[in-house]
Amino acid sequence: MGTHLRRASSALLLALAAACGRSPAPQTVPGVLPARAEASDFSVYELDAPWRDQDGRARTLASLAGRVQVVAMVYTHCTHTCPLIVDDLKRMERALPPADRARAGFVLVSLDPSRDTPERLKEWVANARLDRARWTMLTGGEDGVRELAALLGIRYRREAGEELSHSNAYLVLDRGGRIVYRHDGWAGDLDEPLARIHDAAEASAAE
Amino acid sequence: MRVSSLFLAITLALGAAGAAAAAPVGPEMARIPGGRYLPLFARGPGSVRVAPFALDRRPVTRGEYLAFVRTRPGWRRDRVRRAFAGPGYLAGWPAADSAGAARELRLPATGVSWFAAKAYCAWRGKRLPTTDEWEFAALASESARDAARDPAFVARLLALYTSRRPRPVGSTFRNVYGVWDLHGLAWEWTLDFNSLMVSDDSRGTAARDHALYCAAGVIGATDARNYPAFLRYGFRAALEGRTTIDGLGFRCAQDL
Repeated sequence: MGTHLRRASSALLLALAAACGRSPAPQTVPGVLPARAEASDFSVYELDAPWRDQDGRARTLASLAGRVQVVAMVYTHCTHTCPLIVDDLKRMERALPPADRARAGFVLVSLDPSRDTPERLKEWVANARLDRARWTMLTGGEDGVRELAALLGIRYRREAGEELSHSNAYLVLDRGGRIVYRHDGWAGDLDEPLARIHDAAEASAAE
Repeated sequence: MRVSSLFLAITLALGAAGAAAAAPVGPEMARIPGGRYLPLFARGPGSVRVAPFALDRRPVTRGEYLAFVRTRPGWRRDRVRRAFAGPGYLAGWPAADSAGAARELRLPATGVSWFAAKAYCAWRGKRLPTTDEWEFAALASESARDAARDPAFVARLLALYTSRRPRPVGSTFRNVYGVWDLHGLAWEWTLDFNSLMVSDDSRGTAARDHALYCAAGVIGATDARNYPAFLRYGFRAALEGRTTIDGLGFRCAQDL
């Protein structure tokens, strides 16, 4: 019994080390794409759940096609990290050369659809002084939110009380909604996302 | 005499009320009574309450999933939307509309993504179980509702986990709720897999930082000896919605 347990434990520790050291061998690659990688072979806009924007208009994700989009998932009752995420994206917006800025958009999707009504989003957009020509905020249903988060690799959880814990990330989607870049954590140096936005904008123009 | 008639009347009335309130649950599902349990990574002090629910007695089989694919051809591997499943989707099947020979139809349906598993359960009028529901049901041995701290049971699970190979559903053991194969057959999807391993400090990149859930994760776990549970949580932390893995399947649940 003792030997069996020892053998089982060492097999487990090996399996554990393997599980910890790398992902199990999935056919999709979670996490940051390698530098200069191809766009994902799927489009986020294949998700067809219904959404509404800050003006209360019915939207699908497919309606975002045509521009390079920078996407993050936030919620308006988030007092600490979400405003900082938005600041990072605004910093990116200012740093874009005008030609790229004209071809880019920014999308904030609510993780908290029960409280984030379109009216609330509209108020939030105004308070955050977001340029409505370029920024879209979306609110949908709980299932649509979970599906989008699952596709973007964003984790979130409703805690006891009114807080949501969520991973901090933004993604760049090309004009067709394919993921060309993903960043976890604070934006920091913007060189890479700016380059990816530029490349994606150019790729669209070349089609 | 009158008291016992009254008692009988009340019992019958309560029984009838209970039957009327219960959702229609097929014989392929087991009713799991509610209770409290302490998740391996507790999200605060105190245990979590799990409401009563129904759970499939067995993992969804290849044969069952084949019926789904034939009825909903948008879920065939040669037609599935790429956003819904990675390239390994149903890779183990001999063809897009064949799940293999008769004996293979009893294997668990693996190589399915979360999107696909969700769609199957919805097709059956069900849903995926939450992680809390799944973990709660998985505490049970053949005879006890909570055997998670029984060293002999944990040792059996270790042996099951380290000897995984393709086997038909019903190959492992039937727990006290009448549910088979929660351990040792296939890993299983849960509805809220992307609610797990979210750091309370959302300044971090905890979801992507595997190191956090290796060494440090054990220290944060509520039961450092429960290696099977730790493996499950570690496994789930690396999943995404499109992920397909040869050893990852699912079963469905239903509200009661």
